[in-house]
Amino acid sequence: MTDSASSAMDTRPASRLSSRSSLRLFLLSNEFGLLVLIIVFAALFHGLANGFLSPFNLFALGRNAAVNILIGLSMMTVLATGGLNLAIGAMGVAAAMACGWLIEGAGLAWPLAVLGGLALGAGLGVTNGWMVVKTGLHSFIITLATMSIFFGAMIFLSQGESYRALPAVFSDLGRARVFTFVSPMFLIAVGTALVLSVLYRYTVQGREMLAAGARPEAAEMSGVRVERTVIACHMLSGLLAALAALLLTARNGAAIPSMAGQLGQDWLLPAFLGPVLGGTLLQGGKVSVLGTCLGAFLVTMLTSGLLLMQVGAFWVQSFLGILLLLAVMIDKGRRSYLRRRNLA
Amino acid sequence: MQKTSSYFAAALIAGLSFGTPSIAADDSRIALVPGGPHPYFGAWAQAGEDAARDFGLAGADYRVPQKWELSQQNQLLESLLSQGYNAFLIFPGDPVGSVSTAEELSGFGAPVMAGGGCFKDPSPAALCLGTDTGASAYEGTRKLIEAMKAKGDGPKRIAHFTGFLSDPNTQLRIDAVNRAAEEEGVEVVQTIADIDAPEAAEEKINAYLAAHSGDIDGIVTTAWVPAVAAAEALRQMGGDRIDMVGIDHDEAVLKAIKDGIVDGTMIQNPYGQAYIGAYVLDRLRSGCTIKADAPFKSNALTDRFVDSGTAYVDASNADSYIETMRGETKAIMDGFEATYLDCQ
Repeated sequence: MTDSASSAMDTRPASRLSSRSSLRLFLLSNEFGLLVLIIVFAALFHGLANGFLSPFNLFALGRNAAVNILIGLSMMTVLATGGLNLAIGAMGVAAAMACGWLIEGAGLAWPLAVLGGLALGAGLGVTNGWMVVKTGLHSFIITLATMSIFFGAMIFLSQGESYRALPAVFSDLGRARVFTFVSPMFLIAVGTALVLSVLYRYTVQGREMLAAGARPEAAEMSGVRVERTVIACHMLSGLLAALAALLLTARNGAAIPSMAGQLGQDWLLPAFLGPVLGGTLLQGGKVSVLGTCLGAFLVTMLTSGLLLMQVGAFWVQSFLGILLLLAVMIDKGRRSYLRRRNLA
Repeated sequence: MQKTSSYFAAALIAGLSFGTPSIAADDSRIALVPGGPHPYFGAWAQAGEDAARDFGLAGADYRVPQKWELSQQNQLLESLLSQGYNAFLIFPGDPVGSVSTAEELSGFGAPVMAGGGCFKDPSPAALCLGTDTGASAYEGTRKLIEAMKAKGDGPKRIAHFTGFLSDPNTQLRIDAVNRAAEEEGVEVVQTIADIDAPEAAEEKINAYLAAHSGDIDGIVTTAWVPAVAAAEALRQMGGDRIDMVGIDHDEAVLKAIKDGIVDGTMIQNPYGQAYIGAYVLDRLRSGCTIKADAPFKSNALTDRFVDSGTAYVDASNADSYIETMRGETKAIMDGFEATYLDCQ
């Protein structure tokens, strides 16, 4: 579930860990905690809010969660290196607008335009990564600057105009339902998460990303090309941000400059909530793909449930902030418990 | 500010409940949803309550997204549909990006109407009931130019302070102010947009006036918060060299008019938008349809526009502006069904 540099290098056979310890570890994991919270809140909302389990609400929940999951995964890939990416929203919107222009302005077929948008997202990620490794500055500074640069360039080039004459396949994807209540957008997000799980758990590149984030010097001495790996992480982040924005384009039926707010800042809170709730370490070296997905889903579900319960809309944001604080404190308690029991 | 809105609403209640049809869909649950929190929409809450009482509706509730974000508004609208609301008056968070959600709502049989701002055609909105923002900004600028020229001949220069660029009305206002100025040979030396929030408005308007107050002869504001900030700034500066025409009926602006600091304000009719909007949506649910030959106006976004009324208020009628808007609302209500609806 949780992939870390230490577990990646751990060669002990699983049989050496007692089944009791494994169970205890699982019960203490962020993922299990999030699962319990999801079940508890789902039951609560079903009991208290009218329409929570209605097919349309479940569909809308999955559709909104899909975007939040991808935004969270996009941030997670950079957190793996111990860095941050504040430009996620700006990169995503720039990619979606590029896709819109390729269809409407350049007349490309939509599959090529989608690939173009994804390529731009990845390219902007490479730009971030390259500047981080070449300047030696923290990614916080670099991505804070590129957030304004990418967004400003997008507004300048598009003149703030939306692209709405997109092929029906976009809006069809946003509205389609599988088994009456599942959004295909949710399935795309889950599929992407599975690919990332495989990357971090079973591939050399994935393990190198975690190793480079945990201890860059040690990784370098072990033969990992840390700088190239950091750039790859940022590229992956840009790619996932672009995918999130393209799904949002499908949901809106148009590529619009304001889809992630001013400078793309509307994406920042969901970008951090998913990974942090899920157990990804801010200092790098450890990620949890499942935890990020569950964290993003929990946040989306809480928003949906609180809105259905007609809790004052302004309390929703406060509630999410409290949840983030609680998650960090619980995680701290969990880690100190594991340390005391020599399980960490 | 809120107090003034309440008086405005209460005074309108006293004058409404006229000539309303007896046939209503008694299961109409109407949601009145602005693009985000803003004092302009404060009158919608009272208008909804009054409409529910006067037209025998199951409800006409004012529901506000927690932030001025398209995604927040979309999530709220999805939630309201799940809660059983079956008709929607919406101020689009984005004229293009909101269309997809409107289509989804309409796909569930819920009539949709735009209030305060319009969707961009094509959209499923039955019509758009709002201020003819271009005409209001044009008239306000003409009034400002009249006031400036009354002080003497010579070249005149004005500054224009306006709202969010993501607001569908902002560009219409900028164009109208420029057109009125050009016709009268007046120069618009500065347009400052995206300042319809207290901090941004105060910071930018004060900074601009500190540096350039000597370069301008007049100020026209076409958004609520900039009008308040500019009126307060002129009060602090003292003197009467700079003329100003504002917008809306905030207490600070009305007091500045009475004190001779501001020349006048272009008031709008938010109460009428929500009250008439709830009525029209209920009639549409009762089986009425929009007349094919309804005499809609056009603006840059839609060909199905109905003007909710605007009027110039100066020191001579600042105490009786409520009567003016009551008259506007009554006039629209009286002939609405015969003019725009087909209720066989």
